[in-house]
Formats: sequence, structure tokens, C-alpha cells
Amino acid sequence: MTEALENLERQIDELRAQVRRAATSGDPVRARELRADLRRMEQVWENALAALTAPVVDMGAPAQAGSILPAREQVHQALVLLAVPSAPKLVVSVHTAVFGGDLSSVKLTSLKRDEERSFRSSPHARPYYLCNALTYDRLVPARGLVAVSTWPLARRVVGPLSARVDFLRVGIALAHQVERMSTPTAPVLRLLWQYAANIPDAAPAFDAMQPAVVATAATAELSVHEDADLAHREEAAERARTQLDETHLLFGSSLKVVRRIATDS
Amino acid sequence: MDGIRGPAEPTKHNARTIAALTSNPGCARRRVLDAAGVDKKALAEHLGAPAPFGDSPFALARGNVFESIVKANGAAELIRLLREMLDLSLPEVAYHALDNVAGRESLDTRHRRSVQLLREAARSAEDSGTLFAHPLLRLDVGGRAVYLEPDLIAFQIAGRFHIVEIKSFPVIDRRAEPEKVAAAAIQSAVYVMAMRDFVASLGHDPEIVSHDVVLVCPRDFSNTPTAALIDVRKQLTTLRRQLDRLENLDSILGVLPPGLTLELRPDSTGARTRPVGELDEALKHLEPRYAPECLSVCEMSLRCREESQGRTEALGRSVQEQLGGIEFASEVLSLAAGTRPPSIHEEEAARMLRAAHRLRSQCLGETA
Repeated sequence: MTEALENLERQIDELRAQVRRAATSGDPVRARELRADLRRMEQVWENALAALTAPVVDMGAPAQAGSILPAREQVHQALVLLAVPSAPKLVVSVHTAVFGGDLSSVKLTSLKRDEERSFRSSPHARPYYLCNALTYDRLVPARGLVAVSTWPLARRVVGPLSARVDFLRVGIALAHQVERMSTPTAPVLRLLWQYAANIPDAAPAFDAMQPAVVATAATAELSVHEDADLAHREEAAERARTQLDETHLLFGSSLKVVRRIATDS
Repeated sequence: MDGIRGPAEPTKHNARTIAALTSNPGCARRRVLDAAGVDKKALAEHLGAPAPFGDSPFALARGNVFESIVKANGAAELIRLLREMLDLSLPEVAYHALDNVAGRESLDTRHRRSVQLLREAARSAEDSGTLFAHPLLRLDVGGRAVYLEPDLIAFQIAGRFHIVEIKSFPVIDRRAEPEKVAAAAIQSAVYVMAMRDFVASLGHDPEIVSHDVVLVCPRDFSNTPTAALIDVRKQLTTLRRQLDRLENLDSILGVLPPGLTLELRPDSTGARTRPVGELDEALKHLEPRYAPECLSVCEMSLRCREESQGRTEALGRSVQEQLGGIEFASEVLSLAAGTRPPSIHEEEAARMLRAAHRLRSQCLGETA
């Protein structure tokens, strides 16, 4: 295929040279004929090129969907749906499944750093910041979790029960999301199944999964842990408010750690 | 002991090397090297017989991926398995990750934090934590403290601690490779032992650490975890015996020439300057007992195999048993060919060997 194209290109070059010679030698009739030939030849070349590249163009088109928003907005969008501090991997898979797009977890890491830098240089300049979740015991950044600054502080603090509680909450959020969709897509259903499979009585099998049942089952288990978890979180949030400054409330402090461990020992 | 090792730092044991202690209890060489904390890998390399095994980066990556799947979302998958298998009650979901303490990963900090949390859990019957990921335990091996890191400890399943071991070898049609299960069992037994020592040091009954460990593996060809209970009582007994033996080496050490040392004398650049011949001589005082199984657990195995060349024991235990006390392969051959009359003890083996020899020459005829 490319060989044919190269052939065409050679012929086109030759034709161009002939057109130039005819035009400079003062033979307008011959030049016009040659020009028509040239245009025909170029059209053939265009068609051949289109045939060669067409499949790539087709595959490229859907990948561009959903990526109009900047990465920061996309992360925010996914986190608003999840409504709990989440791992970058989950943020990416939720965003890809529900909104479509080309978010990557690598981008997320640098994003959080940028947010902190931006907040430090001009605090509260943005309506929201992507920030850290804090651990309940030492109030330092919880490993591998992203949160939104507009959430109440208690939601951004994670205690020992929070992993399970947040897991159930995400399950409920995803179930509601599936309910809202007229035709749920396979990635969203698969994501929901990952949750339903690990919640008691949520769904017997992938095919028999009903979002309403999943939500009810998750809510039932949630009611077991919710109060204890909330107590942990609120107590820690209260402590954080008295101990930490604005920046550390959002992004956690690592300086604090050294001092606290030193006093521990 | 320190003399044998020389001025080098003693190598650190881990669950895997402690488990390996039980695989060839009769090997005096291994016992001395392990008790002295000699770096067997470096020693074998210096002798020109480097260990034929190591950690494959692919296996490690696979193991880590599977473990992170099992532990994702507060170990959601594991909670399901424990609920199905051990009737873990609904409120028991607290999850403590101990692989770092407030961003710090030093062994000491982690150990202190692990002790603190586990002590609380053992003391109060209340819900004070259920799952502890990567706690750092300490075990005394040959007089030295060794840090051990079980994948997970689950507590408050009927008031007992369970060790959870996550392995990435598959369970296909509810069957896993017996060798790998055995290795996992003995490794978990090391953790059970460390945990029991710890609980006992707090003044609790060591029996609250269950001898049933939970082994989590991928099911069939998927990433879906499945779990099984493994009773490690037998492994615990063997381990305990081996660790005690590690401390009682007087019978072996008594016959060693004084001043025996296996040090490699590294110079300031780390290059080993000890002459290989001298080291060879020193090593000969420590009698090995080579068996083909050594190849997969001991760094010295290639070297020992070389030494035991021509001996029947190098062919494995079953062959050795059948040959009943004949030590060298050349003797076996001469008995089979009938060129040497068997002694009273060798008669039975000789009869068998001659029959085998006859069959072989009949089958292969002239080509044999």
C-alpha cells in the first residue's frame, strides 16, 4: 500500500515539473491539460492515503470523549460521586466507567502536589482543593487516599473502621448511579459487582445483581459500623481542629510526626 | 560462634530462612552456619558455587499484586472469606495497616506500634481492632532477635488470633501444589510461634493464638481469592525443636579445631580477600548432608552437591534407603556388575542391583 503511494508521489513530482516547464515555455494549453492530470493524480493520492489511515482515525475518535475537562475537574467529578476519601485507582476506574475519559493515576499524584503548592501560595483562591485524608491517630496524611477540601473534616479523617464504612458507602453510591442510568454500561456493572460480591446478601451472582438490593444490603451493614466509626472520626476531627493550622488540616503534616514519635518513645 | 563468622555482621533471619531450618535437620554444616549467622550466599559465591535460586522479580510482582487485591478497601475480599469460613461477626471490620507508622517505616517504630496495638487487642475483649496488616513481630533465633512480618493477623474470631498468609500460587479445582502449601504452612508456623511468644510475654495464654492458619490463594486462573484453614501443630513442634537445637551445638562445636573461621576478609572496597583454598579446608570440618531437596532451600547446595559427588546420598533419600548403607556409587556399580562380592549387610541390595543390571542389559542388549 505504501509502495503504491510512493509511486504516486513520484508521478506527481514528475507532473509538477512538466507543468512548470510547460508554463515557463509559454504553452498555456498544454499546461492546463497537465494541471488537470495533476489534480486527478493528487485526488487518487488523497484517497489512497485515507484508505491507509482510516481505521486509526476511527479508533481515535471515542478516546477523545470526556476529556474536555481538565484532569483536576475529572477527579473532582469522580470524588463527588464517591463522596468518601478514595484511592487514586478507584477514582480512575470510577471516572472511566461512569464518565469516560483518559484519566490516569500517575496524573493524580502530581495533581495533589500542585494543589498543595497552590494552596500554600494563595490560600482559598480556588473553590475546592484536592487534598489528603488524615489518619485518626496521628493526623498525618493517610496513605493513598484523595479527598476534597469542601467535605466536612470528619469525613476526611479515617479511623480503623473507616475503610469498611467507606467501602460500603461507595457500594451504595455506585448502586444509585447504576439505578440512574437507563442502560448501565458493562464497566459500571463490573465495578458495582466488585462491591456487591463482598457485601453480605447483596447479590447472588453477577447476572442476578439488582442495584436496589445492593444498596439495601450495604446500608444494612453500614448501620452496624456507622456510629462507632463516626465517633472515632469526630473525636479525631475535633482534635485536628485544635492542633493543626489551615494548610495542615487539608494536607496533613509530616513535621508533626517526628515530634510526636519523639515524645512517644 | 563469632569466631566462625569472623568480624562480619551476622545475617538476618526471616520467616523463610527459619522455615528452611526444618528441611534438613541432619545437616551439621547448615546448623553451624545458621547458628553463627554466616552469610551463606556470599560464602557460596566466594567458593564459586553461587546459589541457584533467588527472588524472581516476576514472582514478587505477582505476589504483591495479589496481596493488594486481597487487602484493597479495608481487606474487603478477606472479610468476606473470614465471614464465610470462620463466622467472623459483622461488626468485626476494624483494619489497621502497620506497614508504616505515620509515614515512617523503620523496623523499630513499626514494632513498637504493632506491640502497642496487639497488646490492646489481646487485653480487651471489646472490639479494639480486628485485622492487623503487616505487624512486625520479634522472635529469638539462636540468641538473636529476628523481625518477622506476617501478611495479616486477624483477631477476635471466637476470641483467638489467627495468622493470615497470602500466597499467590493458585488453587486449581480446590487443589494446590502440595510442596508450596507445605512451605506456606511452615512459614506461617514461624509467625504463629512468634505471636505465641509475644502473647505469652504479655502474660496471656499462648493458646489464644490459633494453630489453624488461614491461607489465602487465588482461585483457579482468576484473581478471586479463596481461603483454607491449615493446621500447623506439627510444623510448630518441628520448628520449636529445630530452634532449640540451634542453641545446643556443643556436640558439633566440641570436635571442631580451635580457631576455625569462615570469614571472607572483605577489604575496604568490599572485595573478598580470603584465599578460596583455605576456606575450602575450613569448610571440610563441617560435615554436610546433601540431599536433592537442598537445591531449593539452601544457598550452599551446589557446593555440597559437588562434595557429595559419587556418593549415593546425592541421589535422594528414597534411592539411599533402597541401597541400604552402600555409600559410594562406584560400589553400587561393582555390586551390580558382580565384580565385587557383597558383604553380609549388602546382600539384599546386591541381589536387587544384579537383577536390575540383568534387566537393563537384556532390554538394551549390545547398546548398554
